[in-house]
Amino acid sequence: MFFLQASENTIGLSNVLVFGTIGMFAMAITLVSVVVLHQRRVIRFNKQLQKLEEEKQQMLLNASIRFQEEERQRIAADLHDDAGPLLATARLYLNENLIHQEPAVQLQSIFSAKQIIDDSIQLIRNISHSLMPPTLKNFGLESAIKDLFEKINGSGVINASARFHDNRERLNEEQELLVFRIIQELVTNIIKHSCAGFIHLTQNVQGNFSYFRIHHDGKGLLQSEFQKLNYNSTGLGLKNIESRIKILKGSISFDIDSTHTYYKVTIEVPREPNK
Amino acid sequence: MGYYFQNIHRVNYFFILFALFTIVEFSLFCLFYYFVLLPGLMKKFILPIWILFTSFACIDFFFINKMNDFDSFAIGIESILIILLCIYYLIIQLKVSHDLLVYSTTNFWIIITFLIYLSGLFFLYIMAENMIQDKAFRVQYTIINSVFSILKNTLLSIAFLMKSSPEKIELQKNDDWSDLHSYTLKN
Repeated sequence: MFFLQASENTIGLSNVLVFGTIGMFAMAITLVSVVVLHQRRVIRFNKQLQKLEEEKQQMLLNASIRFQEEERQRIAADLHDDAGPLLATARLYLNENLIHQEPAVQLQSIFSAKQIIDDSIQLIRNISHSLMPPTLKNFGLESAIKDLFEKINGSGVINASARFHDNRERLNEEQELLVFRIIQELVTNIIKHSCAGFIHLTQNVQGNFSYFRIHHDGKGLLQSEFQKLNYNSTGLGLKNIESRIKILKGSISFDIDSTHTYYKVTIEVPREPNK
Repeated sequence: MGYYFQNIHRVNYFFILFALFTIVEFSLFCLFYYFVLLPGLMKKFILPIWILFTSFACIDFFFINKMNDFDSFAIGIESILIILLCIYYLIIQLKVSHDLLVYSTTNFWIIITFLIYLSGLFFLYIMAENMIQDKAFRVQYTIINSVFSILKNTLLSIAFLMKSSPEKIELQKNDDWSDLHSYTLKN
């Protein structure tokens, strides 16, 4: 009986040893497998993120190139369709036969040619202003925006106003142009799509950042809608806004106020003071 | 030396070798952990851990076992400490996201060698003190010990055969490992 008990005891301990060893070994293997599988998953996920980021960059680059091409085509069309015929007409007035004409006719022709040349100069000036607004270059962002808003107010359809709280130190020229283009694009979108009754822009400075906030009472965009449209839409406007924001190293956010009355677009720009 | 202990002091010199092996094994592991793998925070603890364990192993051997028994208790504690340090390393690997796959580094293979080897032999060691005289147990001891020794040597061979490109070496010496504070800030 004693031997039987002793042998049962030994078998029990032997089982503990075998199962304990197998259990510990299995635990170690499981732990290692979890680490390896998890890390593989993380790396795969990171690669996917990287790929998406590359795709987005590529899309922005394409948008930027397309935008440049469209801008060039527009300028070419303006020059070809407007300036070209005007100058050709002026040339007709000033042809070789003019010297054989009566002095009164000569004067009339010269006067007409002068008028046409003045129109051409105005047209070229308009094209030039659309490329780089002179107010922005000479008087800064505040004046350029107020100028833009005055033109919008002139239409009588929408009320646009701007208030700059702290513009003692201007952004550098490049930043001002980029911010102006972004605001121009946003305001154009508001006018085209939102059916807003008013647009109000405020500017403020906090620390090393300038903030531009546009309020309007139309149907605006939320951040998620902006991301979605930016990714899916074939239009260039939002993509250009995003690429300009990237160049500025700033950020843009779209939201709605707590009363769900006004939509807000906030642009944050790190300040690089004008040299 | 064996003759000296066996015949003059009547002490089984195998037990002295076992005790010595435990201390040397733990010391070398701590050294490896200290110089190659350790992040800033744990670096402060490794020396006290080593001192405490070595003191404990000596006290166990000289005063509790009195140089005449298998040092199961010390080996058990050593196994638990090494397993915990290995698990800590693996947890850090889970948190730190490398571009490099973890199993392409030598350190990882060394760590899992220790983890698997000591996990597998843990029960064998803690039961050895009471059952070392049992013949059936000795057979089991030999078999299990041999299997895990072969496994250990195989894994270590893989570890030392790993070829690291220069970029991989750079990544292995990740700053995150040498400075846990910056690692915490980044994550």
